[in-house]
Amino acid sequence: MSSRMSSSLKSSTAFVVGLLLTMHGFFVVTFLVANAPLEKTMGIVQKIFYFHVPCAWLLMLSTFVCAGGSLAYLFRGSERGDRLALCSAELGVLFGLCVMVTGPLWARAAWGVFWTWDVRLTSSLLLWLMLIAYGLARRYGGEGGRRLAAAMALFAAADVPLVYLSVNVWRTLHPTTKVVSSLAPGMRLPFFLSLAIFSALWGVLLTLRMRVERAHARLVELTIAVEDAEGRSP
Amino acid sequence: MTYVALAYGFIWGAVFTYIALIGRRVARIDAEIEDLRQRVKPSA
Amino acid sequence: MARPNWASQAARVAWKDLHIEGRSREVLYTMGFMAALVVLVFSFAFISGQEVTVGPDAVAGILWVAVLFSGTVALSRIFDRERESEAIRSLLLSPVPRSAIYAGKLAATAVIMFLVELLLTPLLAALFSAAIGPHALWLGLLLFLGTVGFCSVGVIFSAALLRARSRDALLGALLFPIVIPVLLAASRATATLLDPAAPDLDPAMFWTRFLVALDVVFVVVGLWSFEPVVMGE
Repeated sequence: MSSRMSSSLKSSTAFVVGLLLTMHGFFVVTFLVANAPLEKTMGIVQKIFYFHVPCAWLLMLSTFVCAGGSLAYLFRGSERGDRLALCSAELGVLFGLCVMVTGPLWARAAWGVFWTWDVRLTSSLLLWLMLIAYGLARRYGGEGGRRLAAAMALFAAADVPLVYLSVNVWRTLHPTTKVVSSLAPGMRLPFFLSLAIFSALWGVLLTLRMRVERAHARLVELTIAVEDAEGRSP
Repeated sequence: MTYVALAYGFIWGAVFTYIALIGRRVARIDAEIEDLRQRVKPSA
Repeated sequence: MARPNWASQAARVAWKDLHIEGRSREVLYTMGFMAALVVLVFSFAFISGQEVTVGPDAVAGILWVAVLFSGTVALSRIFDRERESEAIRSLLLSPVPRSAIYAGKLAATAVIMFLVELLLTPLLAALFSAAIGPHALWLGLLLFLGTVGFCSVGVIFSAALLRARSRDALLGALLFPIVIPVLLAASRATATLLDPAAPDLDPAMFWTRFLVALDVVFVVVGLWSFEPVVMGE
């Protein structure tokens, strides 16, 4: 029984290998990105866009996956769904942190201010805060903490499109949603490649994290079983 | 430019830190498995 | 005897709460006092000099922040009575559909909050010389919509945190990120309405519609998720 668990943990090293391969892809991206044409007005700083936007996209993806898992957990009692929600929320916080660091760096270099209260960056911030609150609810929410967090995830996911819609109402420093389709052709390949590799990275991290979480859950079960057995036979 | 390097470097740093944190969690779980195994063995 | 329909059951839950509140008026007073204090705190924090010149943006913001903070007080109280008297169990054991309980609680809390807001807004207008007259009805609508949006999320969280130790600390922290879009839409619309120099009311119209959409989404999610969140464990 225990050997099954440790072997499943050992196979996580296989995932580390996958991770390394993905990392290797990074180098390719770096090479391509470096060769991509310089954007007219912002010059070399614009290159941050190749990392910043995929991170923002992963933040949103994580939120939706978290909501999906929460849905399964709340309405079908799926423990796996709950684990999925937890793991994707963690990844969302991670990539959200990346967005919140690269965004202001880009803003500072391109426009001289660290923060612009435009809706794109602000809505990413909100999403990030919601995922952090998700973690707080799970940790400190007492008995109903997991369910509360799951409900939060549902509300957060519902929030996403609505906030995104208001982008077009405000005049903003942030490039509008149309930026991706209006990319110069030379920039398109590196961007989508970067997006693909970041997504692969996300997927690998999620799978890895899920396995660890599942192992932890089984460990808890086993511990309880052992303690029961010990209590019964003095 | 430095900003680009900073941004990129941060992402790598964050991802690797996260992996390291997961690694620590795995090590802790392994230790607890060992602990359980010890407890189960004598009664076998 | 005919089975009472969903709406009348929800109404009964709401009426019961309002009736109890009407006798003690505890939530009304504490929430009202809190709201007035928030406004005052803002005045002391931001106003300097003799002339009180605060733009419509700031007035709208202050109003809605006061609503949010004092609303958290109201929310932490709605299930308090049930919690203290263990009545929550009997409420949940009754055949009343959970969504009706949710709707009833939502309605009761929204009404209480709205009453406080009706008193708060003229106070604000007086303190900051804001022009609430021209669009008073529209402002009332915004207050109502914003309150419903806020409560729709708050009722769920308050119910879920019933037995948590750090209930009071957590409620605000968990609620605010989700509810910020409501705050945003409501205060932007209010700011436009309060601004005598606004060129047209289009922004207000947009944000009001946005608020309605937000409310619909939140109430639907709330109706849906109330039962699994509260019934568990």
